[in-house]
Amino acid sequence: MHLVAQDLVNGILAGGIFAVVALGFSLVWGIMNIINLAHGSFIMLGAYTTYQLVTSFGLDPFVTLPFSFVALFVLGYLIQRLLINWVARAPILTTFLLTFGLSLLIVNIALLIWSPDTRGVHPAYAGTNFTIGDVTVPWGKVYTLIAALIITGLMHVWLTRSRTGRAIRATSMDIGAAQLSGVRVSQIYAIVFGLGAGLAGVAGTLLSLSYSITPNMGDPFLIKGFVVCVLGGLGSVQGALLGGLTYGIVEAFATQIDLTIGTQHISGSGLQDAIALVVLLIVLIVRPRGIIGKAVA
Amino acid sequence: MRLRPMATVLALALLTCLMAPTVPVAAAGDTILFGAPVSLTGSLTKEGHLTQEGYEIWKNYINAHGGLRVGGKTYKVDIKYYDDESKNDTSAQLAERLIDQDHVNFLLGPYGSGTSFTVAGIAERKKMPMVEGNGAAERIFNQGFKYTFGVLSPARRYLEGILALGKTQKPPAQTVAITAASDAFSQEVAQGAAAWAGANGIKVVYNNKYPDTATDVSSIISALKQTNPDIILNAGHLQDALLVQKGLREQNVMAKIYGYSVGPDTPDFATSLGGDANDVMGGAQWSESVKYHGEPGFYRTAPEYAKAIEDTYHHHADYHNAESTAACLAFQYAIQRAGSLDSEKVRDALAKLDVTTFYGIIKFDSRGLNVYKPMVVNQIQKGRLLTVWPTGLAAAKVIYPAPPWGQR
Repeated sequence: MHLVAQDLVNGILAGGIFAVVALGFSLVWGIMNIINLAHGSFIMLGAYTTYQLVTSFGLDPFVTLPFSFVALFVLGYLIQRLLINWVARAPILTTFLLTFGLSLLIVNIALLIWSPDTRGVHPAYAGTNFTIGDVTVPWGKVYTLIAALIITGLMHVWLTRSRTGRAIRATSMDIGAAQLSGVRVSQIYAIVFGLGAGLAGVAGTLLSLSYSITPNMGDPFLIKGFVVCVLGGLGSVQGALLGGLTYGIVEAFATQIDLTIGTQHISGSGLQDAIALVVLLIVLIVRPRGIIGKAVA
Repeated sequence: MRLRPMATVLALALLTCLMAPTVPVAAAGDTILFGAPVSLTGSLTKEGHLTQEGYEIWKNYINAHGGLRVGGKTYKVDIKYYDDESKNDTSAQLAERLIDQDHVNFLLGPYGSGTSFTVAGIAERKKMPMVEGNGAAERIFNQGFKYTFGVLSPARRYLEGILALGKTQKPPAQTVAITAASDAFSQEVAQGAAAWAGANGIKVVYNNKYPDTATDVSSIISALKQTNPDIILNAGHLQDALLVQKGLREQNVMAKIYGYSVGPDTPDFATSLGGDANDVMGGAQWSESVKYHGEPGFYRTAPEYAKAIEDTYHHHADYHNAESTAACLAFQYAIQRAGSLDSEKVRDALAKLDVTTFYGIIKFDSRGLNVYKPMVVNQIQKGRLLTVWPTGLAAAKVIYPAPPWGQR
């Protein structure tokens, strides 16, 4: 029975990271209607920012969070201003192609700078753990979850309370009305894309604690981010959090499915992705706009 | 809009193409041109680069020593690479392009069993001899193909050595838990290990797979921990090994042996795990400690080869380097024995090849697989990778059982 409790813990701890991975992706998609295929490469850049600061200055990985956020925010802001702005109203395929090209470019530049070597950060607490009954809980992932919750909380407060945050939400609700009220849409778009990138950077920092750093590390998380934000509901902070936690828990429990039908042995762990996608389908059938019911876009 | 969107996109696409690491070369009359799709980006990037290094060091050696003498004429060698992005289908398309558009004389294999499998199909259709050093799944060789040769010991043998070693220790290891990625290579490795364990009195207490795209294996590790195994084995690649080893540490899973099919041999394993990498074992196709004395024409011993890799690439020689170089050596000796660049004659010479190199014996069975070369087991001891099995080749005594976490 304790395996159920352990899986729940594993799922929640993994889900916190998925939530941050999906948060930035979801904002950009929900508000700008751009599926940013370069999101994974932003995550990777965030992880390398942390790696550089940890190895050069001996900082704790969590202390590097603001640095990766700011660095990636600036990059995202500039990319939106200099590149994506030109195609913001173009058909979705155009932005698809542009962000895909960007992602290839960034990954290849990273390969030139950092080589394909696998790197990692290991602070003293990485790998340490505590136990509650039979359940083992790793400290590193607990800190990561706490950081993830704080970040999503801050995002939520900022989007609902601050002037810019309200302008962002207004833009996503009705772009025309927002413009009439004096919102500079191109400025808002640049901020949103910057935020999306900044949050990807933060996700990269958090991932660097439990995941290896390579130029291609973002690829699997792009797919997961995609699923999580559809699952939770586009453009919503709570949606990303709920979607992330749901995805993490489903994946954890899927691992323990062990069926034998006739002579065919079915192992759930080999089908993690498939099971998570089936859950996504079910959610979409029952609640077409994700768990958090309102679509902002 | 001052800038046309499509122009921006096209410019970016063009820029991206320019960034892609391909090395253009022109086939000339006195050059033997090899072609290789390799994983220069994607999930197997690291292994792909090690493969390329293995090919390059051979090419540089041959050209620096005057070239390859074939039937009274001396040829320079050159290798054209394309990045297959670690994707099976892309690898096959690029192989076709190498043959049809770049008119390469011969194919060197990509990295990995999945890519080698698809490229083998192209080589067969085009009747183009290919020697690969990085696809160990027997699935590649069980198709009745005549043009694909592999210098590797087959996948199912990767973890046998670790099990055999565990059995001879005091107290002997009695149980094993196996986790495996879902790709063809890893599955064959896991099946081979489970079969060997079953036939040799080691009980398999856990055996499960996970998708090769997994980013979190903590639930597999939770389930495995309950079975309290003496040996924990993982069949996968470098990223799997790192994920599993970190997960074992996080959940404080204790075992006497931690063994991986791919990972500990790659320098990145120790650099990205620090002390947690110590005492881990890896099955390896080759190590610096092997004691073969090769035929003339290339570095003849493992230490000579290892030194050349260190001097050139500034990291210790990895078995992925060696097996890739071995693929080139198979071509070198086969082409010389055929005395011709004719693809049929070289294919026949490959089929008959029986040569000892720094890497070990290269000789193919009727399927084209090198079943004649034994594997070794390496262990990371205080950050150094040392061969511990078989005993005749051992450079150090095995550390068994592995000390508790935090004391390594």
